[in-house]
Amino acid sequence: MGFLDALPLTVMDWLRGLLGQGLPAWGVELVVGLIKVVLILVVAILPVIVLTWLERKVLARGQDRFGPNLAGPYGLVVAFADAIKILTKEDIIPQAADRQVFRFAPALVLIPTLLVFTVVPMGRGMIAADLNVGILFAVAIGSLAVIAIIAATWSSGNKYSLLSMFRSVAQLVSYELPMAFSVLTVVLVSGGLSTVRIVEAQVIPFALVMPIAAVTYFLASLAEANRSPFDLLLGESEIVAGHNLEYSGMRFAMFYIGEYAHIFVIGALTTTLFLGGYQGPILPGYMWFLIKTMAVVYVVLWIRCTWPRMRIDQLLDFSWKLLVPLNLANLMLVALVFKLAGTGLLGSLLSLVVNVGLLVAVGTFLVRRARSSTSRRTRALVLGEV
Amino acid sequence: MLGRGMLKGLWVTLQHTISSFTSGPRRFPKRYLDGPVPRPEPSTQGMLTLQYPFEKYEMWPRFRGVLVHLRDPETGQSRCTACMACVRACPHGVLTVTGEGKGRERRAKTYTYELGRCIFCRLCVESCRFDAIEMGQEYEFVSTTQDQTLNLEEMLALGDRSGIKHTGEAWGQVE
Ligand code: SF4
Ligand code: SF4
Repeated sequence: MGFLDALPLTVMDWLRGLLGQGLPAWGVELVVGLIKVVLILVVAILPVIVLTWLERKVLARGQDRFGPNLAGPYGLVVAFADAIKILTKEDIIPQAADRQVFRFAPALVLIPTLLVFTVVPMGRGMIAADLNVGILFAVAIGSLAVIAIIAATWSSGNKYSLLSMFRSVAQLVSYELPMAFSVLTVVLVSGGLSTVRIVEAQVIPFALVMPIAAVTYFLASLAEANRSPFDLLLGESEIVAGHNLEYSGMRFAMFYIGEYAHIFVIGALTTTLFLGGYQGPILPGYMWFLIKTMAVVYVVLWIRCTWPRMRIDQLLDFSWKLLVPLNLANLMLVALVFKLAGTGLLGSLLSLVVNVGLLVAVGTFLVRRARSSTSRRTRALVLGEV
Repeated sequence: MLGRGMLKGLWVTLQHTISSFTSGPRRFPKRYLDGPVPRPEPSTQGMLTLQYPFEKYEMWPRFRGVLVHLRDPETGQSRCTACMACVRACPHGVLTVTGEGKGRERRAKTYTYELGRCIFCRLCVESCRFDAIEMGQEYEFVSTTQDQTLNLEEMLALGDRSGIKHTGEAWGQVE
């Protein structure tokens, strides 16, 4: 571990020593715990400021536009301009709303997202709580975000919001499964649920060992975060932005912040599970973590800028008819490969071959079925015929 | 296949992301064009957004901007003879002219142009027989009141800036 790599830990130890001179042991732990909490808040909120800017810029550049470029150099402080605008807005509560739940829901949005950060290793030894069921915790807490959406939609007393809730629940139920399967594959190979253990197990990043699981996890977490192309519950054109329809001012801003924090969580978890986390040559661990996370975040924004929103039936078809069977097969095959060939280089290589083979087989099967199918819809979906 | 189409879409947006930095008139790190520039050819590469208050395109020759006076190169003055034809032609009573001198010596003393009421119909220009006025290229004269005016000197200066020599040049009415 190099000097730079360990710098945050050294600072923390030095702080512990300093506090230990004046405080009892429990006091030191309390202060250190509080510092960790503040750090996690910073790590979760700071990206939001950057991401609001980045999303607009990436979207704009992909569409040959400028994006924000007047507020500060290259429009960098546009998030603050947004904040000022949103803070001065009137806070409206509809008459039909369930007032208490309506007020409480926006606060609930951020909590799951923040909690996930406690089990994400952001550098060597830089993890708030190394739970031995870390990844299980992350998956469980991650799906809690839908509670906030249900609370918000149900309490707004608005039919469009209600439709948004139906969609969001259907989506969550169908994407939790492929996500769990892909995480299971990772757990199987790394031999533990702890996030640190999973990162340490990735001598070769798991994205290269089992691409199917990696892509599935990424797509499923897009669905969970309600990002495009699975942002059905936000469908501006049909249900007028769905769950946050009745919210205004600061309460709306909470949904906004929650959405962007969730993008960063997607990046962080995908990095941890499939891209080798903080591991990498030369640069310190936390830098690698940041670089990989931002790369994933860029892909999320890039997809937003390209793909149209899926229909609800396409969305469910995609999950139940493709992702779930594919991942089930992948899980079994990968388990077999690693049992027979060990978790070394040979196993990894074989696993990659099996993954690619599986993809090719499924692709060929789908195309064949579609060719012989008389259903116009199937042909259009698989073969791209109009 | 569905998947192929989606990947192709990603490739297209990636290309546009890159080309917005590398090609077109606003290559990185250049943010603004300098001065009014000719309109570029339509293109799919690079960004063509006009960032208006900072960037301007040149107007086309027949653009009807603010009314300007044309300078007579011999006398250095306007060729206006205060014949009042434009005043009579103007449907909105925008123009007020006073003259001095008699016969061939008659020249405009004052010429007042009420910007806020002009509808840029060019009837004044068409009625003028003395090659004295023309619609210029300027268009940023928004006023909050109806009585913002330009006088003879200001209109002559604008005429110099527009580079127009004779009335009706752009319409092919000058031999
Ligand atoms: S352009 Fe039309 S409205 Fe304007 S001054 Fe000339 S005649 Fe009057
Ligand atoms: S501008 Fe032309 S029409 Fe108007 S008063 Fe002068 S000479 Fe006559």
